Amino acid sequence: MTSRVLFAMLIGFAEGIAVGAGFVAFLTVLGIIPRLTQLSKTEHLIRFYEWSIVLGTTVTSLITLRNAQFHLSAFWLIPIGLACGIFIGLLAAALTEVINVFPILAKRIGVVDKLLIILMAIVLGKICGSLFHWTYFVFR
Amino acid sequence: MASAVLYLRMRQKLKVKPQQLITVGDLAQLISSDNTAGHIAEMEMYRIKPSDKNLLVVDVMKVVEKIQEHLPALDIQTIGPAQTIVEIQYPKRRVSTIYFILIWFLLFIGSGLAIMNFHEDVSMQEVHQRIYRLITGIDNPTPLMLQIPYSLGLGIGMVLFFNHLFRKRFNEEPSPLEVEMFNYQQDLDLYIIMHENKESEKNLNDK
Repeated sequence: MTSRVLFAMLIGFAEGIAVGAGFVAFLTVLGIIPRLTQLSKTEHLIRFYEWSIVLGTTVTSLITLRNAQFHLSAFWLIPIGLACGIFIGLLAAALTEVINVFPILAKRIGVVDKLLIILMAIVLGKICGSLFHWTYFVFR
Repeated sequence: MASAVLYLRMRQKLKVKPQQLITVGDLAQLISSDNTAGHIAEMEMYRIKPSDKNLLVVDVMKVVEKIQEHLPALDIQTIGPAQTIVEIQYPKRRVSTIYFILIWFLLFIGSGLAIMNFHEDVSMQEVHQRIYRLITGIDNPTPLMLQIPYSLGLGIGMVLFFNHLFRKRFNEEPSPLEVEMFNYQQDLDLYIIMHENKESEKNLNDK
């Protein structure tokens, strides 16, 4: 019995290490944290951002795996939803950049001076696509 | 008496008009120990022909050859890039508005579709229902209170990443998009240097 529990713990721990390392590697490749520190000029605080990621991941894992419920007002969801959205937006933008969409597009179709408008097409497309998904598509 | 020294540095890139006459001074920065630099700068190198299309690479060897024709005793020291990319700028053809609007809509619809696919892929609806239950303790199949701020946040996040939210710059650092454009241009330039410059490759098996 004890050995089984120990074995299960070992497997769980190994899984956690693999997923955690992968998650951090993914974030590092996309360079979201450097980007945010660069924008806010807080390079000296990067240690705290690292811990924010680590704690956020760990605490959320614990809470969701134990199916906790807080019975708070639904208005708490507004800042949470906004934060979720911004994070995914940063991820999406970073991914677009990694795969070199804009330089090629701008060069090919010769709209270097209209890059901002092109960027807006993608941003508004994301917002509208997401709103359409939640307010119409899921009810179909 | 030691011979005069000329320091020559090829420019990275030169933008010219069709039919323009290029001089040595256009192609390179020159400094000489005597006063010949001004005279050398005026030397005619090449006139742009329509057959050059829009790109031309001038190798430093061609420039040295030209200068030596006139001043064989000169000691020429070259520094920096070994060639100049000459970009011939034809009058710009405007991107038609219809064309632009079509591309805009393609990107608009496409990115909307992509985010929907992503949501379905990662079961975002279920995750949002779960967050709703986590915070409020109530089951809600359509947690719009969470999802509408989320959707707006998506846009804010993307704009934030590309630093276009504030037209004024935070600082001197370029945005990732500008760096990306620059890197892409550098790759193109390197390709041009290697492939447009006939002197940089030699195939001895050529008949």
